[in-house]
Amino acid sequence: MPSASSSSAAAVWAILRKECRSEWRTRYGLNAALLFAIATLTAVSFAVGRLGDRPDLLAALLWIVLLFASLAALAHTFVREVEGHTLTLLRLTASPTSIALGKLLFNLLFLAVIELVAVPLDLVLLGGPPLHWGRFLAVLALGSVALAGTATLVGAIIAQTRGRGALFAAVSLPVLLPVLAGAVSGTRAQWSGAPVGAELRLLAAYGAAMLGLSLVLYDHLWEE
Amino acid sequence: MSGAPAGAPALRGFGAPTESVAGVALEARELGHRYAAGRGLEPVSFALAGPGVAAITGPNGSGKSTLLRIVAGLLRPSHGECVLTHEGRGLAPGARRGAVGLCASSVAFYEELSAGENLGFVADARGLADPRGRVAHALARVGLAGREGDRAGALSSGLRQRLRLAFALLHAPAVLLLDEPGSHLDEEGRALVGRLVHEQRERALVLIATNDERESRLAERVFELRGRGVGHPA
Repeated sequence: MPSASSSSAAAVWAILRKECRSEWRTRYGLNAALLFAIATLTAVSFAVGRLGDRPDLLAALLWIVLLFASLAALAHTFVREVEGHTLTLLRLTASPTSIALGKLLFNLLFLAVIELVAVPLDLVLLGGPPLHWGRFLAVLALGSVALAGTATLVGAIIAQTRGRGALFAAVSLPVLLPVLAGAVSGTRAQWSGAPVGAELRLLAAYGAAMLGLSLVLYDHLWEE
Repeated sequence: MSGAPAGAPALRGFGAPTESVAGVALEARELGHRYAAGRGLEPVSFALAGPGVAAITGPNGSGKSTLLRIVAGLLRPSHGECVLTHEGRGLAPGARRGAVGLCASSVAFYEELSAGENLGFVADARGLADPRGRVAHALARVGLAGREGDRAGALSSGLRQRLRLAFALLHAPAVLLLDEPGSHLDEEGRALVGRLVHEQRERALVLIATNDERESRLAERVFELRGRGVGHPA
């Protein structure tokens, strides 16, 4: 009897590839997210010019753009399964943990693509003091993990509820505020040459907590 | 087909489509589910051991599909328990996922992906050996050879039903659950269901939820859900 019990790693990898393929075919979130990021940064650049002497504003603007460009798409990875009625197929195929990890990895990849466009555009259009690359990338990476982890979990929680649009805003706001605060503060601090240890610890702890919570909750979230 | 046995090693997976899976047993003990007052599955008790074919009949709303969803592990029963065992040992959720194949109208496919890509995803996620070969074989068995490149969203309802059959059979499950398998199918498709059930009767436990006499005649045992538990075998 060859094995048919899904190996977790194989399932996570398969789900990640399936998500990428589906997104590439439909461009459900990517086009909208990129359009939002480019349009926002261009509009702000036209309106206020360069903000090289205002690292606080630059940091806030960067994370607001990343948040709003990606949030709807990140949460939609689960909603899409419910609205497309494919959740039954998915649940018959892989464990809740594998599904959660596959979706989380896709969301991280999605966020990385948005950042590849938005971060250079932000720096070019709005200027800014020289980057401390190590600290900046650390804040960006941990902020992305925390953001993707939180949005994935919120997306899973609201996916099967009625009125999920309204619920999404209500649930995401309080849980995303610590991520935003840590990421904005860390980005501003690295521009000012200040240490970012506290912000990195906050983002790492928050991201780990969200991941841990996801792994505990996912088994129960989709029980009927 | 007989009562549940007791015995030895844990079931880890189920193999090649022709390979027999003996020692699989399903037992429902006062199993019921209530969606709302008066709706759902009234408590039922029965024991089945594979290989073999059983049919569950009953009027609309009597809980046939609910029963299959519980057996598949998709629905937690609000009453009683459903125990799936291999050689006497209960199957954990992960092993149950590998042991059960479900063909039901609630199984939908990713419309933007092709039929082959949908099944390929399932084969990869299940960690099946030779996923491409398995997908090609499964599609050929249900008469979809050469259509693996067709977008799932563009398939007719009959062809989509065939794809559901391929999905259920892909990993050669020990327990095959067929919920109204002939729905949307033409005469040739219904004959295909008959052939597939006939093939599986020697290697798996097949449970068919149906009100179609042609399908219930495929079974060795027929149970009727009458709203208050399983009736006598017909």
